[in-house]
Amino acid sequence: MTLLAIAWFDFNRRLRAVSTYVYFVLFAFLGGLWMAAAGGVFAGASVSFGGDKVLINGPYALAICIAFLGFAGVTVVGSVAGRAVQQDFEYGTYHFFFSAPISKRDYFFGRLLGAWLTLALVFLSIALGVVVGTHLPGIDAARVVSAPSWQSFLRPYLFLLLPNMLWLGGCFFVLAALTRQMAPVFITGVLVLVGYVFAVNLLGDVENKTLAALVDPAGITALDVFARYWTVAQKNGEEIVLAGVLLWNRALWMGLGIAVIAAGYAAFRMQAVAAGRGRRREAMLEPSRHSKSARAMAVLPAATIDRGAGAYARMLPGLARLYLSEILRSPRFLAIALAGVLLVLGNAVTLGSLYGTNTWPLTYKVLDVVGGTFSLFVLIVTAIYAGELVWRERDARVSDITDSMPTPTWLGFGAKVLALFGLQAALMLVVLSCSIGVQLANGYARIELPHYLFELFVLQLSGFFLLAVFALTVHTLIDNKYLGHFVALLLFILVARMPDFGLEDRLYRYGSAPGVIYSDLNGYGHFLPAVFWFRLYWSAFAVLLLVLAHALWVRGRDSGWRSRLRTMAGRMTPVAWSLAGAAGVVFVATGSFIYYNTHVLNPYVSRKEDQQLRADYERKYKALFGVPQPKVTAVDVAVDIFPEQQRVRLAGTLSLANKSAQPISDVYMLYPRTAQVRALEFSVPARMVDEAPAMRWHHHKLDPPLLPGATAALRFDLEYGARGFRNDGADPVVLGNGAFVNASLTPDTTLVPSFGYDPNGELTSDNDRRKFGLAPRPRMPDLDDSAEQQQSALTRDADFIDYRATVCTAADQLPVTSGYVKRDWTENGRRCISYAMDTPMAAIYPMLSGRYAHRRHVWKGPDGDVAIEIDYHPGHEFNLDRMVAGVRDSLAYFTRHFGPYQHRLLRIIEFPRFLRSGGFAASFPNTVPFNEAIGFTAKVDDRDPKDIDYPYFVTAHEVAHQWWAHQEVPANVQGAEFISESLAEYSALMVLKQKYGDAKMRRFLKHELDRYLMGRGIEQKGEQPLLRADGAAYIHYQKGALTLYALQDAIGEAAMDDALSAFLKRWHFKGPPYPTSRDLLAELKRVTPAEHQGLIEDFFETITLYDSRAVGATARMRPDGRHEVDLVVTARKIRADGGGKETDAPLSMLMDIGVQDAKGNFLILEKRAVKTGENRFTLVVDGVPARAGIDPLHKLIDRDVADNVTTVEAS
Amino acid sequence: MQLSIRDLSKRYANGVQALVNVSLTVRPGMFGLLGPNGAGKSTLMRTLATLQSADSGTATLGDIDVLREPGRVRAVLGYLPQDFGVYPKVSAADLLDHLARLKGLVDAKSRRETVDALLQRVNLFDVRKQKLGGFSGGMRQRFGIAQALLGNPKLVIVDEPTAGLDPEERVRFHNLLADIAADVVVILSTHIVSDVEDLCGQLAVIDKGRVLLTGRPGELVSSLNRRIWRMVVDKSEAEELRKQVRVVSTRLQAGRIVVRAYGESCPGAGFEVTAPDLEDVYFSTIAGHLAAPAAQAA
Repeated sequence: MTLLAIAWFDFNRRLRAVSTYVYFVLFAFLGGLWMAAAGGVFAGASVSFGGDKVLINGPYALAICIAFLGFAGVTVVGSVAGRAVQQDFEYGTYHFFFSAPISKRDYFFGRLLGAWLTLALVFLSIALGVVVGTHLPGIDAARVVSAPSWQSFLRPYLFLLLPNMLWLGGCFFVLAALTRQMAPVFITGVLVLVGYVFAVNLLGDVENKTLAALVDPAGITALDVFARYWTVAQKNGEEIVLAGVLLWNRALWMGLGIAVIAAGYAAFRMQAVAAGRGRRREAMLEPSRHSKSARAMAVLPAATIDRGAGAYARMLPGLARLYLSEILRSPRFLAIALAGVLLVLGNAVTLGSLYGTNTWPLTYKVLDVVGGTFSLFVLIVTAIYAGELVWRERDARVSDITDSMPTPTWLGFGAKVLALFGLQAALMLVVLSCSIGVQLANGYARIELPHYLFELFVLQLSGFFLLAVFALTVHTLIDNKYLGHFVALLLFILVARMPDFGLEDRLYRYGSAPGVIYSDLNGYGHFLPAVFWFRLYWSAFAVLLLVLAHALWVRGRDSGWRSRLRTMAGRMTPVAWSLAGAAGVVFVATGSFIYYNTHVLNPYVSRKEDQQLRADYERKYKALFGVPQPKVTAVDVAVDIFPEQQRVRLAGTLSLANKSAQPISDVYMLYPRTAQVRALEFSVPARMVDEAPAMRWHHHKLDPPLLPGATAALRFDLEYGARGFRNDGADPVVLGNGAFVNASLTPDTTLVPSFGYDPNGELTSDNDRRKFGLAPRPRMPDLDDSAEQQQSALTRDADFIDYRATVCTAADQLPVTSGYVKRDWTENGRRCISYAMDTPMAAIYPMLSGRYAHRRHVWKGPDGDVAIEIDYHPGHEFNLDRMVAGVRDSLAYFTRHFGPYQHRLLRIIEFPRFLRSGGFAASFPNTVPFNEAIGFTAKVDDRDPKDIDYPYFVTAHEVAHQWWAHQEVPANVQGAEFISESLAEYSALMVLKQKYGDAKMRRFLKHELDRYLMGRGIEQKGEQPLLRADGAAYIHYQKGALTLYALQDAIGEAAMDDALSAFLKRWHFKGPPYPTSRDLLAELKRVTPAEHQGLIEDFFETITLYDSRAVGATARMRPDGRHEVDLVVTARKIRADGGGKETDAPLSMLMDIGVQDAKGNFLILEKRAVKTGENRFTLVVDGVPARAGIDPLHKLIDRDVADNVTTVEAS
Repeated sequence: MQLSIRDLSKRYANGVQALVNVSLTVRPGMFGLLGPNGAGKSTLMRTLATLQSADSGTATLGDIDVLREPGRVRAVLGYLPQDFGVYPKVSAADLLDHLARLKGLVDAKSRRETVDALLQRVNLFDVRKQKLGGFSGGMRQRFGIAQALLGNPKLVIVDEPTAGLDPEERVRFHNLLADIAADVVVILSTHIVSDVEDLCGQLAVIDKGRVLLTGRPGELVSSLNRRIWRMVVDKSEAEELRKQVRVVSTRLQAGRIVVRAYGESCPGAGFEVTAPDLEDVYFSTIAGHLAAPAAQAA
């Protein structure tokens, strides 16, 4: 009873505390905000928590929301649970409780229960916020469950939030009870956060997913892993259950919590002195009492006293040093820093992992990983120590003395600002040492100290300083330490997430500056000026904040607002006013300059405005889609690249022809709004009748019309160049080194004019479309759309073209485009090369320019030599041999198995990693621009069975596109990616298999299976079968690779070659009409024997999943010494619709049945007929069987491959 | 330099009226501020120490407006708060040196001499290198007074310095205060009458935010000559007496109760006149037996 009375008293006391309500309202607010952001309330926001189709208050989304927000409240758990017991020590009230006739049990658990009750109440507000949030005006009704089940709320609380609150609260309580301080609580809080981040990072490699699920203290990663392969239908329709890894995770952490509480209870003593802590006071001797005479003698000398501002200014550094060294020497800071280091090292283990293979620890890469991870720590440390510094004197109860000292207020305040800056600089030093440590540990000794110093101590630190000022100001204004921590961190996050709520302009996003992405090729390139101006702008504002915080600094006992405002007047001395004035002037001046750059020189288009433009474009011009347009038949262009000026000029002629059956009088020409038009004229009479530059739209009337079969030409002379900088930073058309122009991958990177309404300009997300009243839109035209079958999937306005180009650039750079070098010269200090292609080609042609080193090789093919050229950044030699081998082996394999290569050259060119147009690498006619971040810098360890030689693989994939996409160009309908990307993926796999063997393939395909199954869960529109692949990468890459490889495994390589070469032969440079996936499927059906015909339907025509399971296996030795294995398996086939709804389908097919020995070698592996349900097999093997099962190599798509094999029992 | 306080009032946000029209004139020398707990002593002290504002009234120290010119006050102020902490891991000499710098003692050599001299004066020189966390209550208070004396203050405010000290420590502390130069205004607040009796040339009694009495201890005591009456009674009788006479104080003595009462003439049978002391002044004032006009005495 006493226990309950204590708990109830505590709970009631909390109910009367302001902080409880602040937390309650804040979490309700966050819950509502989450819903609002996910539900599309904020204009232009693109917040999505797990796929467009996942309902924002469906079971899965609610679970994530509640679990995440609850976990984000770890600081609240810390302060409520920790303070519940610690404040008895801080205020000395423990005397009453410990001397009262209450038992330890009542006190300990009463207090703990009181804290739990308070926390439960606080966190209930999340649900409240969510409910309110889903009813806000502006929420997209299509994304909300109108009557969510109460189970969807209850379960996340029961499985995730409340257990976390219980065990974390218990641990924090115990820590505070035993140490009687709050610092260990906060350190542990940081460690828990580290655990979560670490788990999320671990998940980067699918092999670690069980471990990741277990180590996450929050259980969010466990839920993630548990629902990893859930489809949209499951996420919206199934309540989460406590099972699998989620159950294990909860059991583990709850168990830990109970153990800690039990141990803490045992160790807790209701005594004045904390257990195990001796007091040194006993050892202190009172000074001897002989000192009457000494006192008399101690005449105070006349000291020099200088209380001028100058004297105090000279004290500033010393005082700052004093504050800083106090922090740096404190065990809690060391603990936090150590936690950061541990996290960094943990993350560095999977440095830049791709397919489970690491990259070389280049400086920028290490800075990304180490600095990126550590910046979270800098934020936390800044928020916490800003509070510690603000409260330093008051916490130590010396503020009465120091505040009544004759020191000016700015001295202590200024020293605290400097100390916090110093603290951040110290953390940067930690980052620096960790980074260099990681590099050295990886055997990489190319330490670029200047790069480190600039990145850490100039770029990053200047940004952190702004946060430090912000945190100090918050703590000064809030004047409550615990609340201040929370508010400071919350504001950090909210300010950082402002763009998600449609607030994008950096002019009002405190501390923001456009991102800087370093590239080995281009350094910081042209990013820096924008960063500089924004830093200056916000630094001026930070000075204003400092003046404000100084003026409102609490000195003395008056902390009420009225008296603080009164004091403020006195603090605003002429010096303060002039400082504020100067800062204000700089703020306004730099702000104006930035405004001029981001709004006047460059069009400022917010995300919402961009969406509006796209919606308007579609509404206005969609009707003109399909109106016949002239087709480009030849391109002849002179390209002048000026790397230093970030400028490019493209002048030339497009040869046009009317290939349609109707006269063409309306030409819709497209080019980016950033173009400066120097000349643009048709060779036939034409006039512009309508123009909408923001939509790239330029409508010309041809008079007389261009008759069917007639030709014309367009002479163009366009210039593109950076003008100042933009709100989203520099997205330069041209870089100082490694320019990549006219990549043609998005409308904005197509610099040469094109023709006709471009559907790529439309809004794609159905959620966004609904907002603007547009109907949902399929990703691709229907497979049977006969008009679109006449269109190439690569370019709407051209089929195959003749191409010639002259590219000029700076003298020390190499200009590159598709084609062969015709002439190479230097003129007016500029390097020029004329290129021409000798065969018709797809109409995509990039221009690149950079200072490259060269690797040359010749492949002697059956039809003549093919030159292999790699133009790369000096220093990136790591994988050149692998890439050369990739090209060589690919050319050999594809030539032998599919057909000849159409060019005499294949060149790979490295380009800077930050070019968003890049993605991985892209295959253009005989030219493959290759991103520096992949392949070039991979660190493949051939001895590590886990490592995939992906420089080799990606190279092979891109080379394969010279066949699949360039020789055979798909029609612009569903399935286009199946006959380009999937085939390229298959081709590359076969090259990889030839070199590394089938076992390595299995490892690779394991990643692909994981990514395919995960991809289904975040499907935005509806999953399509491969036959109708419509641009979703997880389908055409991952599923394509898995199924084509599995088909090859079933019907054999020769049959595949037969089908593919026949398909290629039939569609070699054909079009229009262009081939579709049906054409490929016809060939595959032709070569597939009857017993495997079912695979065609399962793999390509439907979405099919298999569920194979080994139920049991027993073995006995036969008299002849061989073993007979009785194997029981079950098999099931599932068909899913686009949303992920599943139905069973009868299964009757050949599947792998295998028995392995203890070393994992197969004693037998053969295809056997399997039917739905239970199947029994008796297998006789040589050797001792250890494991047996069905589809042991998981060739089929199966969500749980671990249960395919079971241990063989002796009978 | 003299400190004049006129009509100082302060009401806290929670409605507590901490000071009501307080007026005092304090000349150089020790000034005792006597009052029970919660009388408003600390509020007055903190206001004078520039740590709190007042709602109305003025306070001037020489030509310094205490309420409007906190900077000038701090330059001549030495303040020992009622309740203060120390950085437990810092040594006495280091912290005192640090505080001396903040007080404007810029020159390292002369600052060290000052610090050493002060530490000797408060008899902490031998333990100057020890961490403050290990100091006893008395040592801490002496450290407190050392820091208050840094930089030759003209106004020294010590708030309840002897609370919690053992008798010996108290004596030593009193000696220290007495040593402080005569031309300095020293305000000592306390609820222990003997502190004031031993040390102060002037005193004021303050209760519920009001100044009830000011004057010199000796004069105030002699003003009670033949006004204090004493009787030893049983416990039960004491209660009865309270209703009949103006009891100043009661004290247990060997199981019986010594009652001291105020009266211009003998308040009742059994009372005998006795020599007044400062406690009688204090308790009579608090109890309201002494009329306010006595305040004019200062």
